[in-house]
Amino acid sequence: MQVLASGTGEFKPPNPDEMRSWVREHKVRAPVDKVMTEHEAVSRFVDDGDYMAYDMNIAARGPVSLYREIIRQKKRDLWIAAKFSWADTTLLVAGGCVNKVDVGWMETGAIINNALREDRLKFIEWTNGALSYRLLAGALGVPFLPMRYVGGTDVFEKSGAKLVEDPYTGQPIVLVPALNPDVGLIHVHECDAFGNARIYGAGVAPREIAMASRKLIISTEQIIGNDEIRRNPQRTTIPYYLVDAVVLAPFGGYPGSVPGRYVADAENILEFAFAQIQGTLDQYLEKYIFSVASHEEMLDKRVGAAKLLRLTQEETVREGYQ
Amino acid sequence: MTELTFTDLEQNICTIANMIEEDKLYFVQMAGPPLFAILLAKRMRTPEVGFLVEEGAIAPSPSFPLPRMMLGAARSHYRSVAWEGMNIVDAHAALGYVDWGILSAVQIDKFGNFNSTFLGKDYDHPDRRFGGPGGANEIASCCWGTIIMTKLEKRKFVERVDFVSSPGYIDGSPGAREKVGLPANTGPYRVVTERALFGFDEKTHMMRLDAIAPWITLDEVLERMDFKPLIAEPLGVMLPPTEEELTIIRAEIDPGGYTLNRGEWLTVTV
Repeated sequence: MQVLASGTGEFKPPNPDEMRSWVREHKVRAPVDKVMTEHEAVSRFVDDGDYMAYDMNIAARGPVSLYREIIRQKKRDLWIAAKFSWADTTLLVAGGCVNKVDVGWMETGAIINNALREDRLKFIEWTNGALSYRLLAGALGVPFLPMRYVGGTDVFEKSGAKLVEDPYTGQPIVLVPALNPDVGLIHVHECDAFGNARIYGAGVAPREIAMASRKLIISTEQIIGNDEIRRNPQRTTIPYYLVDAVVLAPFGGYPGSVPGRYVADAENILEFAFAQIQGTLDQYLEKYIFSVASHEEMLDKRVGAAKLLRLTQEETVREGYQ
Repeated sequence: MTELTFTDLEQNICTIANMIEEDKLYFVQMAGPPLFAILLAKRMRTPEVGFLVEEGAIAPSPSFPLPRMMLGAARSHYRSVAWEGMNIVDAHAALGYVDWGILSAVQIDKFGNFNSTFLGKDYDHPDRRFGGPGGANEIASCCWGTIIMTKLEKRKFVERVDFVSSPGYIDGSPGAREKVGLPANTGPYRVVTERALFGFDEKTHMMRLDAIAPWITLDEVLERMDFKPLIAEPLGVMLPPTEEELTIIRAEIDPGGYTLNRGEWLTVTV
């Protein structure tokens, strides 16, 4: 196959057989109880230097309680897939956890711009779709996939994509390398103790992340019985053997929404935004992360039952989410 | 004659809303003016029109008023026909099901290539870094055509963009998109601004000025551009927003005030 052009962006070379060996050696195939605290899940399954992917973002069904725990445990040198990301990247960079970002889209304020200027942060350019598609290749166990976009742009030049002559049609086509993150984080509506998980509503690439990631942490609004899962198998988004840890995290998407359960807390999101503008994000991190030992303590001491009840009541849309 | 006050973003939203056709399928950049445009059309003229958003909601009928944090919210995805993921909706576009993409750009060139990555100096030391192409690249690549909104300013309409985040007609040459693997017979269709409306010449793929606002002259439009576009004859006249459109945008579609807070206020007599 003739390679017509190659981007110059850094990527971890795909290696499907290495991934298979890793799965064989490390993934637990027995249906065992994987429920653990966020502290245990993050300390066991997120390592410094890991490549990390997550589904959705701080606005909606992002694994935000897990981000906070990662910041609390001072994880360092993470490389993240910022697809359909938003202030997620800002939060993780402000926490000192991230030094490399595969860009799809994210919020770019003072935190990101300063980190770039001071060379604390490196970007590799992709698109939301290209990162989801690379995860699809990773999920399928193949080294690359062809696709119909990214070509003809400077994004292509700064990515790890290639333009090749398709051996079947003879036409030019873009290839992207498979992405197999070291660790994936997904926040779900419900799952059982083994990790069989249900997501309601749209999602960027939860199945792709679950299948492509070496280690997978699920945080969940609610733990349900395995009987309940088996009564309606059509509803299962992620089967148990892909999952390494189940963390019970009601309001785990806070300050974002979890569609069908509670709305986003616009006040907190604005507090975060203003802290960035005023250069006081350290105080925000201290208040919501370092001064509390857990997600539960944060909800209890910093948010409070009255607000959580209001956010739940304001979610008037339930259709389709149960 | 009445005096009307609106923002540049509101003008763009109304212009695009009036282009929406019920028998077409749209792919809409999420949670901003491109979404507001199709919602205004759905609310006023084309209630059944279908659109996709990149996080996988298919043909939603959003529940008004939308919440301030509308990205991915239940009210934004209300009464969809399906909830899927990004790879599925992108594939629907790659298959040719999606007629028009609606997008916004930071900067655009005469061939419709556009930038949402950085402005000023060079890639490694940008004056200002933006969030990246997001889903705009796949929308601009795979829909049959794209409608791109931006503001008419000299630093935005340039000979060459600082960074091509999403493809237009590349260098304008015949088959340029196909040569880099993009689907055949696709490309930018309209560029919408508050002061002028553009299309593209079918042969040269050069941007062509199609219409201007009734309250501005041709020279004033050209002064706001870094390159000289082709000029349609006869040159059309754009419609200003109506009071009804503005009320619906402000009260129901964008109660968080996104368009009012970020826009340039324009007061004109119509």
